Amino acid sequence: MTVTVSASGLTLRYGGTAALDEVTLRLTEGVTGLLGPNGAGKTTLLRVLATAVPPDRGAFSVLGHDPSTTAGRQNVRRALGYLPQNPGFHPDFTAFEFVDYVAILKEMTDRGARHREVRRILDAVDLSEVRGRRIKRLSGGMRQRVALAAALVGDPGFLVLDEPTVGLDPEQRMRFRELIAQAGEGRTVLLSTHQTEDVAMLCHRVIVMAQGRLRFEGTPAELTAQAAGRVWSSAERDPAARAGWRTGLGTFRNVGDPPEGADLLEPTLEDGYLLTLDDASAEVAA
Amino acid sequence: MRPVTSERRPKPYAVIRALLRPLWRTLPRPALAAAGGLGLLLAGLPRLLSGAPDPWLCLNLLRAAGLCLALGLAFLFDDPARHTTAPVPVRRPLRGALRLALAVPVAALCWTAALLLVPGQARPPVGAVTLEAAATAALALAGASAAVRCTDGTRPGAAVAAGLTAVAVTVPTLLLPQRWALLVAVGDQRWADAHGRWAGLLVVAVAVVALCAPEPLRRGSVLRPRPRGTAPTTA
Repeated sequence: MTVTVSASGLTLRYGGTAALDEVTLRLTEGVTGLLGPNGAGKTTLLRVLATAVPPDRGAFSVLGHDPSTTAGRQNVRRALGYLPQNPGFHPDFTAFEFVDYVAILKEMTDRGARHREVRRILDAVDLSEVRGRRIKRLSGGMRQRVALAAALVGDPGFLVLDEPTVGLDPEQRMRFRELIAQAGEGRTVLLSTHQTEDVAMLCHRVIVMAQGRLRFEGTPAELTAQAAGRVWSSAERDPAARAGWRTGLGTFRNVGDPPEGADLLEPTLEDGYLLTLDDASAEVAA
Repeated sequence: MRPVTSERRPKPYAVIRALLRPLWRTLPRPALAAAGGLGLLLAGLPRLLSGAPDPWLCLNLLRAAGLCLALGLAFLFDDPARHTTAPVPVRRPLRGALRLALAVPVAALCWTAALLLVPGQARPPVGAVTLEAAATAALALAGASAAVRCTDGTRPGAAVAAGLTAVAVTVPTLLLPQRWALLVAVGDQRWADAHGRWAGLLVVAVAVVALCAPEPLRRGSVLRPRPRGTAPTTA
């Protein structure tokens, strides 16, 4: 597959803390999931790739444009859709007006064509019915869809989504998954999330970050495979387990290095993620 | 509709024309209206009082009206959608300049009305007192644009207004030595020198507004030079 976004050696420090530490990655068309605990550097990485903050060191390119020059940065922004972690709005704008405003900021100046595009996007995110309603009167899920519409307007080739499903109820999350899956057809999507189910269901690639570094890069199946043979069931919590919890069946699900003869279970992507993080912590401690 | 490519970029005037209406709606109109209303009320007070208007009172009420207008302008760069609209091709300096272009005429109109509300026989020299008001407004705008450039906040206006009020109350009255006085009476021998200083403040404040117009700096990078080969930032 063609590499659409590439970065090498991205480093960014806030004071003495490395928010990004020599991050090198390649993205292709489709949805790539970005997992990591709070403070791992996910948002910083997304902001760097969205040209919202420059790295201290390292280089990257988006769809062939180099953002280290003013002209290159403008071209990256012309090809970019960005949904920040806490999207803000002008609350007196209607959903239509806000997306239209963002479309103008994306240099769409032909009023007729722009309005058709805004209607198309609002229809795609299922907001046609409320497009004339002020944003302050919309629910949290609807506001999140307005933000997604603002990111999608102009049909960007690279979509950066920072925890778009946070705070949504299960039904809204399902709807969002559908939208993100559609958005991933024919464009590059980088999706930061804490929801491993979202990654398992949506993403063709997954990246795990911790302490500003990439700890894993591969397919969701490969991340799940990290936990193969390392998840087991027991009647009591196994003290040797790195994590363990009582399930609805009354038995304990343990993750870590199993004892001899343990009753092994099928791992999930979340197990693989937890073990990858745990291995990363152990590596740092060592 | 595919994104605009560099080969078919729209003309800047087309972007400006399209932006004017939504930008007008993003202005902090309640703050500007409240500031303007209070300013006009203060300037009109002498007409409500019985007896001949006191020129010293009129001068200070006009100064207070100018401060009110400046406090309203401190909210001009508040933008709750700042992070949502950060990485877009239309640059922040253009958006900032358009906001100024929309708000300054309204503020100027309001100031003119305030001047006209003061009875003619007690009205201070219009040019000098307008210079004071312009410098105060420019200081507020300088504070607001510096706050946007150096912080991640979406609504720095309230903090800037509070800071400006504190400065206005303490600096000219308590902290400035007499020889650098800014608030002097008409006819005082320091009047011309004071207005020289007001002009200096205006120039410095306008320079700060211009310097802070580009893309915001990264948190913690205010005093740190940008690494070579990296682009300026936005937020």
